[in-house]
Amino acid sequence: MKASIPVLGLLAAAPFVLPGFQVSLLTEILIFALFAMSLDIQMGYARMFSFGHVLTYGVGAYITAFALMNGWSVPAAILVSFVLVTLLAVPIGWLCTRASGVAFAMLTLAFAQLGYAIVFKWNSVTGGSDGLTGFVRNAGPFGFEGFVSREGFYWLTLIVVAGLFFVAKGFVRSALGTAIVAVRENERRASAVGYEPRTLRVVAFVASNSLAGVAGSLHAGFLLFVSPEILHWMLSGHVIMAVILGGAGTLIGPMAGAALFVLAHHQLSAVTDSWPLVMGVLFITVVIAAPKGLWGIKTSLQSVFSSRKEKRMEADNVTP
Amino acid sequence: MGSWQVWLNLALNTLAMASLLAMLTIGLTLIFGIMRIMNFAHGALYMFGAYAGISAAHFFENFWVGLVAAPLVAGLIGSVFELSLLRRLYKRDPSSFLLITFGWALALSELTRLIWGSNTRDVQLPEFLTGVLWVADEPFPMYRAFLIVFGAVALLSLAFIILRSRLGLLIRAISQNAEMTHALGVDVGVIRSLTFAVGCGFAGLGGYLAVPLITGYIGMGSAAIIDSFVIVMIGGMGSFIGSAVGSLLVAGTQTFGNFYFPDFALVITYILMICVLLFRPGGLFGEQE
Repeated sequence: MKASIPVLGLLAAAPFVLPGFQVSLLTEILIFALFAMSLDIQMGYARMFSFGHVLTYGVGAYITAFALMNGWSVPAAILVSFVLVTLLAVPIGWLCTRASGVAFAMLTLAFAQLGYAIVFKWNSVTGGSDGLTGFVRNAGPFGFEGFVSREGFYWLTLIVVAGLFFVAKGFVRSALGTAIVAVRENERRASAVGYEPRTLRVVAFVASNSLAGVAGSLHAGFLLFVSPEILHWMLSGHVIMAVILGGAGTLIGPMAGAALFVLAHHQLSAVTDSWPLVMGVLFITVVIAAPKGLWGIKTSLQSVFSSRKEKRMEADNVTP
Repeated sequence: MGSWQVWLNLALNTLAMASLLAMLTIGLTLIFGIMRIMNFAHGALYMFGAYAGISAAHFFENFWVGLVAAPLVAGLIGSVFELSLLRRLYKRDPSSFLLITFGWALALSELTRLIWGSNTRDVQLPEFLTGVLWVADEPFPMYRAFLIVFGAVALLSLAFIILRSRLGLLIRAISQNAEMTHALGVDVGVIRSLTFAVGCGFAGLGGYLAVPLITGYIGMGSAAIIDSFVIVMIGGMGSFIGSAVGSLLVAGTQTFGNFYFPDFALVITYILMICVLLFRPGGLFGEQE
C-alpha cells in the first residue's frame, strides 16, 4: 500500500498538533476501526455473519480491567487478553460453525447474550450493571511510562492497530486466507480439492475474534471503565454497520467505515439527540444504493478513471 | 399456599406471557417463512404499534379502539417499508435483509421517541379487566386471563387461515417454492406484501397488549426482539407450530426460572437456545439442513 506510510506518519504526528480531546477521538476511532476490521475477517472473507461480535470484545475488555486492577502493565494486559480470548474463541467457534447462515448469526448472538447475562448478574466479580472502574494504566514493562499518558496510550493504540492491520492483510493473502475465500465462493469444490470447510471456518472465526479481543482490551485501557453495555447486542449491530458502510471484504474499507461511524456519531449527537434516525437512514441508503460500501464506490470510481486513461493511451498508441 | 397452587399460578402466568410472545413471534416466523427475512425491525414495530394504540385509546377514551388501531398502524408502516424499500432487495443475498431491517429498526425506534417523547405511557383498562379471578383460592389478574383467551383465539384463527384457506395454501406454497408458485400463475408479490403487513400487524398487536403489564417505554422493542429471535430459533424458522411451542418454552423458562432461581433465568433461556441449535440447527420444528 503506497498510501500507508504518509497516513501512518500523519496519525503518528497528530498528538503534536491536535488538542487533547481530538487525540481521544482519534484513539476511539482507531479502536473501533480495529474492531470493525476484525469482524471483516469473518464477514467479508468467510461470509459468516456474526451477530455476537461483542462477546470477545467485551470479554477482552473485562480481562484487561482485571489485569490492570492487579497491577499488570498495559502491554501485558493486552497480551493476556489476546491469549485468553483466543482460547475462548476456539470452542465457541467450533460450536457456532455447526450451523451456517442465519442460524450461525443467531448462535453467535445467543453466546453474546449469554455473556451479557453472566456479566450483568455476576455482581461480586464484574460489578453487575455498574461495571468496573477505579483502575489505572500501570507503568511498565521495566518501569517504562511511555504508554500511561493520553498521548502515550494513543501511540500504543496506533502501533497495535497498524501492526494488526498488516498482520490481517498478510493473513487474508496467505494460503490459509485464500483457502477461506475458496470455501466462501464454493464450499463443495473447495472440499473436493481437499480443504476442510469446517476447520477453515473455525480458523476465520478465531482469527477474527482474537483481534476483537485486542480491540476490547484497548477500549478498557482507553476509557478505564467497563460495563455490560460493551456486551450489548446493539454494539454488534453498530460494528456490522461500520463494516457495511465501509465495504466488506477489503479490511481497509471497514476501518474507514468505522472512522465515519464514530465521527458521524460525535458530530450528530452534538447537534441532535436523534442521531440513530440519521444513521438508520444513511445505513438503509448505503445497503440499497451502494452494496459494496463506500470503499466499493471509491474502487469503482478508480476503475472508471483508469479505464479512461487506458483508452486514451490506447488511442495515443494507435495514432502514429 | 400449597406447592401445587404455586405451580398452577406459575403455569397460568406462563400461558399469559406465552400468548404475548407468540403474537410477536408468529409475525416474525410468517415473514421468515415466506420471504426468508429475519426482520430486525419487528421489535421497533412492536413498540410503534403499542404507542399508536395507546394514543388512539386515549383519544377515544376506549381501550378497544387501541386494540384495533395498534395492528392497523403497525401493518401500514410495514407495508410502506416493504413496498418502498424491501422490494428492491429480493434478488440480493439474504444478509442484506438483516442489515436493512436493522437500519430500519434504528430509525423507527428513534421516530417513536421523537413523536411520543421519552416518558413511559400507560393505558386505561376497561372496568371488568382490572379485577382478579379466583383460581383454586388464589387471586389471578383478570387481564392475564384475558390475554390467555385472546391469544388463543387470535392464534387459532390465524392457524385456521393458514392451514385451511386458499390464501393460507398459497402462503405455504410460496414458503416451500416461490418460483414454482409464481410459474403456476400466482402473484407472489401481492401475497408477500400481504403476509409482511399481517406479520407486522401482529407485532403491533402484541406491543399494545403488553402495555398494561410492562407499561409502554422507549426500549421495550429492543428488549422484546431478542426474546422473539430466541423463540423463533428454538421453534424453527418459518414454523407456525414451532413459534407457539417456542413461546411456551421460553415463557415457562422465564416464569419458573424467575421464581426458583431469579439470577439464572436469562442464562437458562440462552443455554436452552444454544442446546437446541447445536442438536437441531433448524430448530425443533424447522427444516433441518
